[in-house]
Amino acid sequence: MSTNEQDVRRLISQAAADWFVANRVGLTPTERSSFTTWLKSSPVHVEEYLALSVIAQDLAEACRDTEGSVEALLARARFEQDSAVQPLRARVVAAAQELVMPRWQPLAAAAAACAAVSLGLLALWTHKAGAPVTTGAAALVASHFETRHGEQQTHVLADNSVLRLNTDSSATVRYSKSERLVTLISGEAVFEVTHTPGRPFRVLAGGAEVVDLGTKFDVRVAPGSTAVTVIEGRVAVAPVAGASRAAQFVQLSADQQISVSDGKWPASPVGVDAQRATAWLHRQIMFEQEPLEQVASEFNRYAPKQIEITTPALRNLQISGVFATDDTQAFIAFLRSLDGVHVEVTDRQIRVSQD
Amino acid sequence: MATANKTLVERLFAAHGGALQGFLARRVRRHPEAAELAQEVYLRMLRVPDLDAIRNPEAYLYTVASNLAKEHARQQRKDAAALDVDDPLVQEQLAELPSVAGDLDNEQRIRRLREVLQQLPAKCQAAVALQYWHGLSYEEIAQRLGVSTHMVKKYLSQALVHCRRRMARLG
Repeated sequence: MSTNEQDVRRLISQAAADWFVANRVGLTPTERSSFTTWLKSSPVHVEEYLALSVIAQDLAEACRDTEGSVEALLARARFEQDSAVQPLRARVVAAAQELVMPRWQPLAAAAAACAAVSLGLLALWTHKAGAPVTTGAAALVASHFETRHGEQQTHVLADNSVLRLNTDSSATVRYSKSERLVTLISGEAVFEVTHTPGRPFRVLAGGAEVVDLGTKFDVRVAPGSTAVTVIEGRVAVAPVAGASRAAQFVQLSADQQISVSDGKWPASPVGVDAQRATAWLHRQIMFEQEPLEQVASEFNRYAPKQIEITTPALRNLQISGVFATDDTQAFIAFLRSLDGVHVEVTDRQIRVSQD
Repeated sequence: MATANKTLVERLFAAHGGALQGFLARRVRRHPEAAELAQEVYLRMLRVPDLDAIRNPEAYLYTVASNLAKEHARQQRKDAAALDVDDPLVQEQLAELPSVAGDLDNEQRIRRLREVLQQLPAKCQAAVALQYWHGLSYEEIAQRLGVSTHMVKKYLSQALVHCRRRMARLG
């Protein structure tokens, strides 16, 4: 992009931002008409406006939990000049960072920093120190990841595949030249796999083995049964203990789910809404006419306080809705709005009963 | 407070559910697709005979964009369903699929956005946090910061432009 083009783009961006900020409080009829004219005058305006809307959406997330820091920022502001100009130091540092950091580097560094244990790095370090490296042929890089109750993590793996761990989950990643193997020990994960011919991506989870065919899928381990849901593309699934494995693989495509449980194979895939099954990626839980018992157990996967249904008749109450995984309050408010439902919140529990 | 920021997010891309928001947002973030999507949205907006009569042009823009994203999602699902994985030709095509890593993942993006925010003056950062997380009105923010509402708008606009510029470089 030429400098001139950049300048034009910058001006458009500025205009889009001004309109976006103005739109938050509503426009006067005159303003509304000039905003419409502005939108209609170029697709680039539309593009900039949509891009800023997405940034604004992300800003809410980026500013999460800033209770204390607003005070700190205000204190700092008293030392800074009251001007719209960026502080020089920050600008210089930012420019320098951009020069030395190619775009993948912060990614890789951050991913490595997140790893609870990164045996791969350890091996590399030992190697550099001159010690003999005795890694087996199969385990070139092995990393272990874990999430606590209510926590979620995202890891970019060495091949740029992405592993997203849901609450209370743990997984081990082993990469060799000929194979990529992830063992999901507990919990739930979504895999976005980069397709590499000759280097299959396999997931072992509970009693199930999942072989990726270039795709994105969710695996959830529960006692006695493992559920695999395909979001995009296709996977092949088989029980780990299968005698003649190849014949037992069942193929799954987008919006299909299969459960691998002891002694029930081959099973048939069922149609599901994969977006709903993976709503946790957006920190959401979605329900469509599901029994309260199931909804409560879904919430209990994330919330610090466990929901208990004390009136058995309520267990089958049908619930629909979209809730944030970290917002039990909203769910409680929703339950309270239902006829005949009483909710009692104690220090440790949320008790749901019939009035 | 959480509720306040949710209403803003909800107003954006009104009521189409998180999954679709994600889909639309993904397209908007990736350059060639973003331009393509904007072009289509633009053309559809032009087709409206009396655009000036629309009471809320912004909401209309989001609705058009969301509908387009929905149509694309449906089309993609149809295309995927028509594939036969056992076909060697399909296997070959599968092998050439672009890597999903081109899509900067959510957590990394938010982390980067936090860094980008920190390059802004403190008052500007405070205005952003008070607006997007605490959900305060411009008047309330102006009071907290001891500046005019005009200045608050300027801070917020400046922050958006700065974040957009820095984030765009990530592709």
